Amino acid sequence: MPEPLIAFTRSIMSKLALLLCILQSIFVYAADYPELWLEPARSAAQLGIATFTQSPFLEEQNLPPVAERLPDNPPVILPLDDIGTYGGTAYIIADDIPMFFSHEGLVTIAPDLKTILPNLAESFSYSDDGRELTLRLRAGLKWSDGHPLTAEDFLFTVNELQLNTEFLPVTFRDFVGVELRALDELTLVFSFENPNPFFVNYMAQSPDLFMLPKHYFQDFHPNYTDREVIGERMEEMGFSNWSAFIFTSMQQRRFPDLVNQPTMRAYKAESLTPGLFTYKRNPYYFKIDPAGQQLPYIDTIEAQDIRDNAVATGQASTGQLDFSGVRMQTSEIPLLKLGERNSGIKVSIWNRIHGSDLSIQANLNYADEKKRKLFEDVRFRRALSIAIDRDEMNEIIYFGRGTPRQVTVLPNSDYFEPEFASAYTQYDPAAANALLDEMGLIDVNEDGFREFADGSQLTFALEFVETETPKQVSMELVTSYWNAVGVDIRMRIIDRNLQYARAIAGEFEMTLWHADRTTDILFPINPDFWVPRKLAASLAHWSEWSRWYLTGGELGEEPPPNIRQLQAWADEMSTSMDPARRVQLGKQILAANAENVWTIGTIGMAPHPVVTSARLKNVVDTGFWGWDIRWTMPYHPATWYLAQ
Amino acid sequence: MSELNELTPGQLAWLRFRRHKLAMVAGGVLIIFYLFAIFCEFISPYTPDQRNARAINAPPMDIRFFDADGQFHPRPFVYGWELNINEDTWMREYQEDTSTRYDIQFFSRGEPYEFWGLIPTERHLFTVDSESEGYIHWFGTDSLGRDMFSRVLYGARVSLSIGILGVGLTLFLGVLLGGFAGYLGGVFDNVVQRITEVLQSIPTLPLWMALSAALPAAWSPLATYFGITIILSLFGWTTLARQVRGRFLAMREEDFVVAARLVGANDRRIIFRHMLPSFVSHIITTATLAVPAMILGETALSFLGIGLRAPVVSWGVLLQQAQNYQVIVMTPWLLLPGAFIVITVIAFNLLGDGLRDAADPYSSLSKT
Repeated sequence: MPEPLIAFTRSIMSKLALLLCILQSIFVYAADYPELWLEPARSAAQLGIATFTQSPFLEEQNLPPVAERLPDNPPVILPLDDIGTYGGTAYIIADDIPMFFSHEGLVTIAPDLKTILPNLAESFSYSDDGRELTLRLRAGLKWSDGHPLTAEDFLFTVNELQLNTEFLPVTFRDFVGVELRALDELTLVFSFENPNPFFVNYMAQSPDLFMLPKHYFQDFHPNYTDREVIGERMEEMGFSNWSAFIFTSMQQRRFPDLVNQPTMRAYKAESLTPGLFTYKRNPYYFKIDPAGQQLPYIDTIEAQDIRDNAVATGQASTGQLDFSGVRMQTSEIPLLKLGERNSGIKVSIWNRIHGSDLSIQANLNYADEKKRKLFEDVRFRRALSIAIDRDEMNEIIYFGRGTPRQVTVLPNSDYFEPEFASAYTQYDPAAANALLDEMGLIDVNEDGFREFADGSQLTFALEFVETETPKQVSMELVTSYWNAVGVDIRMRIIDRNLQYARAIAGEFEMTLWHADRTTDILFPINPDFWVPRKLAASLAHWSEWSRWYLTGGELGEEPPPNIRQLQAWADEMSTSMDPARRVQLGKQILAANAENVWTIGTIGMAPHPVVTSARLKNVVDTGFWGWDIRWTMPYHPATWYLAQ
Repeated sequence: MSELNELTPGQLAWLRFRRHKLAMVAGGVLIIFYLFAIFCEFISPYTPDQRNARAINAPPMDIRFFDADGQFHPRPFVYGWELNINEDTWMREYQEDTSTRYDIQFFSRGEPYEFWGLIPTERHLFTVDSESEGYIHWFGTDSLGRDMFSRVLYGARVSLSIGILGVGLTLFLGVLLGGFAGYLGGVFDNVVQRITEVLQSIPTLPLWMALSAALPAAWSPLATYFGITIILSLFGWTTLARQVRGRFLAMREEDFVVAARLVGANDRRIIFRHMLPSFVSHIITTATLAVPAMILGETALSFLGIGLRAPVVSWGVLLQQAQNYQVIVMTPWLLLPGAFIVITVIAFNLLGDGLRDAADPYSSLSKT
């Protein structure tokens, strides 16, 4: 081959390679897990598994044989790398306990962040009009005390708790118009007032709201037990009434009675002392591995109650913890990586599910008329957004490995368009200055900061809670960018409870949160960051419009037509049975948000360190870290094992 | 001895002080530190909030006279640094690029600032060419790429002045209240004594914490600064007041005061001409020894996150930002402000020691 041709081929090849790299970087979520995890789990019968084994830990405990404890046809979960071995104690900190749980609901979430898979149910189907959802439970499922799990437990939880106005004076929005009946012991039928194609998503993401063990909680429910008896029990346990007690259980807060409550999860609370929580394997857990071994592999979990990030990082980086994720921070990756070289831990870099680590919100319903006018002006929000140098932020805080973006869904979502993420993210302080000048905000007294058009002082208070994502350091940078275009901002870190109270009361001038609900699991059912339909600590920019929506116009403030339109779109999106129409509506919502910058995003899909010990196996190398998928739910924590 | 007798008390004290070598050194160090603090805008090569995205958590740089080939350059220089984030370790690695030299320029142009908030200028004592890619961070940089040397200097201004201001306020309160209590006696004395006892019986740290938590968050950084100063001195005056009162009480009955009174001197003359001079030196010494307590107080409050807050730069604030495990392992140079605090406090103590010796009327030259 002649020289030039070789050179030409080389250059083509290198360009191809580059293209491949780019493609690869677009699909960062390239599968890192078995394809089978995207499909409903095969059953033992399908795979011809007939003999089941159990952990030696369970022998001599006077339990029925393992085959009787397992359901009739247990689902088989394929571990990530290899079939595990039984035994051992995993040491973690308390915040990471839910990462080991395998939240077990009727349905569960696949690691593609889209698919809903059967779990406790062996199958589910919607009627054509989307008004009926039928689920068929696996036969022979048992709670951790051996009591069978049947339709009764779901009927009890949904009809006698969720829809009971004594238990919940205000029914959860997602349960409004929901009815549940059972065709037989194992068949559940949910019927809905309006088509509800995403009810399964909700069910998968919040399984605890659907199932409590009736045989345990009926002793605390006035339909089954004398109120006086319940009253005495509550007094003993320190609860004001039975609903407070059951509600606490439903939320899975750590409190002593958890030890007595049956569960379907892989691990059950054994003792909860202040400072140390012990969980033991659930002998009736319903999943097995391909070798017929009952899951989980690990026998015991010991969790220290450590709330200090520095202590958690110290322990994780020196190999004292088998798994650590919640308290790990992006900024500490180099330190953890140093630990990886020195103490044999493994530091996996996951991606946070947050569409943006910060969702900066200016209160569009703020009581002060002058400031509110400002916040309502789209030029102001756009100016603030383009005044932020996201590339520099990415370099300084995220090692250049985050993605500068607005608050929007993840790229693999059906509802995503690249311009939703990139709208008004281009750093342009000159344009920001021009916009602010145009609004009449001029620095009259030449102190370096702009004043209101009438010359009065213009200072914003931005108060927030430092949690989950690097907010303080981000805001230090954002403050300096905004100062540079003459906007004076005072930031202040506040308490989490205060955040909630002030957010729903609409008292913040400006605040921020991290933006999850960015996947096809939660976005279509709860597009919270993009449509005012909910009151929450995370949504402080339009609480009055949300209140108006939630109370049917009785309270709050009537939103302007474009916001009413958003709400109507969201309502239609979550009830439409036509997938194309849903995608169209979702994109309209996101496009309107991109255009109006109702909340300002910074960096999204940021690297998140997950530390595992050298002996903990079968944990995915990269995954998505966040609320939408309950952090580890799709990655089958029951298959994690401790190598000897 | 005869010519010594002709020296004024001030000259005598100075002679005695000069013999205290450590105090002399400490005094010199403090003068330098205070000069740094006064001229920090000019001396520091960057402004404290100026970020360098190409030098995040960069270690201290070497300032060189000899290049990689061993050749001597009369003008000191730094090498250019290349930043590379290691794919495996996620560490920011800085590689010296010996092919690019950046000469250190004196009185050259850099980031514009206003000297004392009054004189706009862009001259810095030393920088590297701000048009070029080079930079000079000889104490390293923090996690936002801010120059630690500049921040330590700006921090010195706040931390050192809070000591002086706070002690000034303490002195004012202590001398006033103690003096009146001692001279007037009676009910006033009684009230002041009881207040002193109450204040002294409350543990200082929780009280400081409570008071500084009560400072409104909306206060500007400057207002917070004065707020903290006042809080610190509100509890510092009690000891001094006691001492002043004791002195007054004792001296009221001294022979020379009685003599002055007998020859018909009025109160004003007795206080200012006879009593005050005899313990002014004592007050100065006490004040000097109180300064480090103030500095440490500010540092402690800021370190706990309830004193001064960013964007104010003080040594305490700097340490607060450095208080995590990662800093000790990965970026120990962020703890440098701590060294400055230690040096300052020791220097003040030594200086106070020297001053006390010098001011003590009973010590003789031959003894020291």
